[in-house]
Parts: sequence; structure tokens; C-alpha cells
Amino acid sequence: MEISITDAFYKDKQKALIALYRVVDPELFVNIVDLGLVYGIDFAREKSIEVTMTLSTPHCPMGEAITMGVRNVLSIEFPASKIEVKLVFDPKWDHWMMSEEGRRQLGI
Amino acid sequence: MPAINIGKAPKNNAVLPFYGTAAVFFLVLTGMLLVSPTALVGHYFQPHLLAMVHTAALGWGTMVIFGASYQLLPVICERDLYNTSIALLSYFLLTFGAVLLILSFWLFRTGMTMIGGGSLILIAALLYLVNVWKTAGSCKKYSVQRCFIISSAIWLVLTVSAGILLAVNLRYPFIPGNHLEILKLHAHAGLAGWFLQLIVGVSSKLVPMFLLGRSTREKWLPWAFWLQNAGLILFIGDGYLNGITSRVFLYEMLIAAGVVVWLLYLHDVYKNRVKKKIEFQMKYVFISTLALLISLLLIPAIYYGADHQWAIVYGVFVFLGWISAVILGMTFKTLPFIVWNERYKSMNGKVKIPMPKQLYKEHVLNWQFRYYIAALTLLALGVLLHLGIMIRTSGLIWAFVAALYCYNVMVVIFHKRRV
Repeated sequence: MEISITDAFYKDKQKALIALYRVVDPELFVNIVDLGLVYGIDFAREKSIEVTMTLSTPHCPMGEAITMGVRNVLSIEFPASKIEVKLVFDPKWDHWMMSEEGRRQLGI
Repeated sequence: MPAINIGKAPKNNAVLPFYGTAAVFFLVLTGMLLVSPTALVGHYFQPHLLAMVHTAALGWGTMVIFGASYQLLPVICERDLYNTSIALLSYFLLTFGAVLLILSFWLFRTGMTMIGGGSLILIAALLYLVNVWKTAGSCKKYSVQRCFIISSAIWLVLTVSAGILLAVNLRYPFIPGNHLEILKLHAHAGLAGWFLQLIVGVSSKLVPMFLLGRSTREKWLPWAFWLQNAGLILFIGDGYLNGITSRVFLYEMLIAAGVVVWLLYLHDVYKNRVKKKIEFQMKYVFISTLALLISLLLIPAIYYGADHQWAIVYGVFVFLGWISAVILGMTFKTLPFIVWNERYKSMNGKVKIPMPKQLYKEHVLNWQFRYYIAALTLLALGVLLHLGIMIRTSGLIWAFVAALYCYNVMVVIFHKRRV
């Protein structure tokens, strides 16, 4: 996920993204940002953050742990905001969505 | 809110007892092998061997599969398990039923204890079928996996029902045909119906998930389903009406073709996987597959061989090779995640927490694998060559494997939260 420097919420989005690096997929041992699971972070609504993300597979047994991790890290960074996680499967996750670092960690 | 349902796994009290109890049954099974190694020499229809087979099939295999299915079905079908209470009830019925049945075989007390034990297991199988039907039945996606899982549960009910009739027949003979011929039909309904179809259905969903693999050959899986079921239905129908004849090879070929199609699909997933580093547990899957293929190759030897040892070697590869290998490995791909989800899920991202992989002792699992290979090889050779000392030695190694497995399972189940 890339954040434009001209984005009105650049600083907040950058802060949120750095926090999301702390959420690790317990099955793959790689953080969700490098895995390419985070599609977007929306600060448009006041006191609310909406993270649009996916899972490596729709029936991922660790899905709830991951979305809970997202809520947890963002609640720490933005205690006054309501955190919402929107799971989507379109586009479907694929390995090319991973960062170089994510690929390196998975040995691709 | 999430667009789909995730994390629908049932509470751990409907899952963990199955894993813990199965581990104890595995230990008991290896104890039986130590106490009565001569049961594996001679005819297969003898009390101690029947007790061992039912310990392996029900206390060990079915027990752990029930637990794993209750955990995985909601995940695969993206919906809640239909009923957690009847899942727990099936645990008690299966446990007590298996204990009664195994004891009655070991002591060869035909009659009410044996029939009663079988009846408890039948109720457990029916409750399992209800849970599977109600959970997977309304699942819109993954229709092939759903077919495999539902049909395996139906085959389990049929297998146990036939088993009860055989138990009744031992005390009050009423079956017009040969008891041993019907026993073969009962055994293969369990092996090719219950175990094979459940393993095929679950693995065709989980292996791509574990390996992050994709395959364009998923459309092959319905072929695997129809071939396996056609072969099995023809085998049972013909076997019941006309006895076991050389036509058994035709039916075996159909089932084997279904197995090969499934394995080709898994191979395609493996070839197209994203996760290049293969975890240690997948070695067990390789051994399990090899043991299944060896078992299939042994069938002509059982049919033509005058010696009963081929049938026992076949049983060794089926129960202690194919089924046990997949359980010994996959336990540590499922159980740590189940426990981790309960103990650490809510803390993810808040504080430093151990990962699921760190909940069990990896070096113990490595040793377990080495001893397992030694135990399986020695036992198969010992049975084949009629070498009592080899069977006895393998019994000791099996007991050690079971002890290592039990230890690791208990380490995970009784893991205390560390933060």
C-alpha cells in the first residue's frame, strides 16, 4: 500500500501504516503490510479509521486474530478513534501484492 | 464490519478433549503392541489384534478426526458449527463406546458389552453426521470438499452400523454369509469411505492454504470423488452378494484412480505454491501418502497370498502408516493454532506474544519423526518375516513415539499464557 505525500491525511496514514507493521500473520510469520494484505486506510470520517484489507485465503483460521491485531495496534496509536476493519476479497490476494521484504521472508 | 464471516471456530472445550484423548489412545495402542506382539503373527481374526485395530480406528483416528473436523468445518464453510453441545456429547459417547468395544475385543466378551459399546459409537457417528450435515450442507462454496466431508460422515455411520451387526452376529449368529467376508466389507467401508474421503476432502482445502498454493486442476477433484465412491459401492455390493472375487481388483483400480487424481491435484498445488520453505510437518504427509500407495499395492498379495501376514502388513501400513502419519504431523499444524487462538488472539499487536509454532517443542517433533520411521519399518518387516523379536523391538519404539507425541500434545493443551 502506498500513501501519497499530497494526501490530506498523510501523517495519520503513515502513523497507522507503521503501527500495522506490528501485526504479524501467525501462520506465515510475516507482517500484514509486507504481505500486501492492507488495501487502504481511510480517515475521512471524523474520529473513525476504516482499514480495508484482505486475508491470504478467505477461510484463514487466523483471520480473526489478524483483524483483532489491526484493531489493537490502531487503538494504541489513535485512542480516541473508532477502528473499523473492512474485509474484502476483491481483488483477491496474490503473492505479487507482497513487498520485496515480504517475499524475502517467505523465501520467494 | 467484515464482509464475510471469519473466525467461526467453536469453543475449545468442543475440540481439545478429542486431541488429548486420542493421544492417550495412541499410547494405549502402543502398549497393546508391547504386551501382545504375537497378535500380529497368524490370522488377523484374533481378540488382541481386533482390539488393536479398533483402538487405532476409533480411539486414535476417529477421535482426532472428530476434533479436527469440528474445528475446521466452520473455517472451511465460513459459518458456525451447527451445535457445540452435540459435538461435546459425541466426544463422551465415542470415548466410552471405544473403551467398551476395545475391552470387549481384548477379553473377547461377545454380547452386550460389545454391542453396547458399538451402539454408543453409532450414536456418536450420527451426532457427528448431523453436525456435518447442518454445517457443511448449507455451505454454498467448495462443493467438492463438502461432498467428500458429508459422504465420509455417511460412510462412518454405515461402517459402524455394519460393525454392530457383526458384533451381534458373533453372539447371536444370523448373517447368512461368511462373517470374515462381511468383516472385509465393514473394514473397507471405514477405510475407503470414512478415512480416505475425509482426508481427501479436508486436505484438498488445507494443503493449498498451508502452502499458499493455487491449482487450476481443482475440477479434477469431482472425478476423485466419483471414482472412489463408485469403486467402494461396487466392492461392497458385489462382495455382499457374491463374496470377494478377483473383481476386487477392478474396484480397487477405481478407488486407486480416485486416489491418484487427488494426489495429482495436491502435486499441482505443491508445484504452484508461493511458500517455498516446506514445514517439517509436511514430511509426515509425504510418508502418509507413500504408506497409502504401498497399501494399495499390497492388495493383490493379500488376495493371492496363502499367508495371512500380507493382510496384517496391509493393516500396519494403513493404520500406523497412512492414517497415523497424517495425524502425527497435522496435529502440530492445527492444535497449536487452536490453543493460540484462545489464549493470545485478543492480545495480538498489543504486547509481544509467542507465535503458535512456539507452543510445542519442535526438537521433540523432530525426534518423534525419526523414531516413527524406525518403528514403522521395523514393525512391517517383523510382521512380514514373522520375526517376534523385531515386532517386540518395534513395540518399544512405538511406545517411545507415542510418549513423545503425548508429551508434546499435553504441552500445547496445558500451555499457560506467557506475556
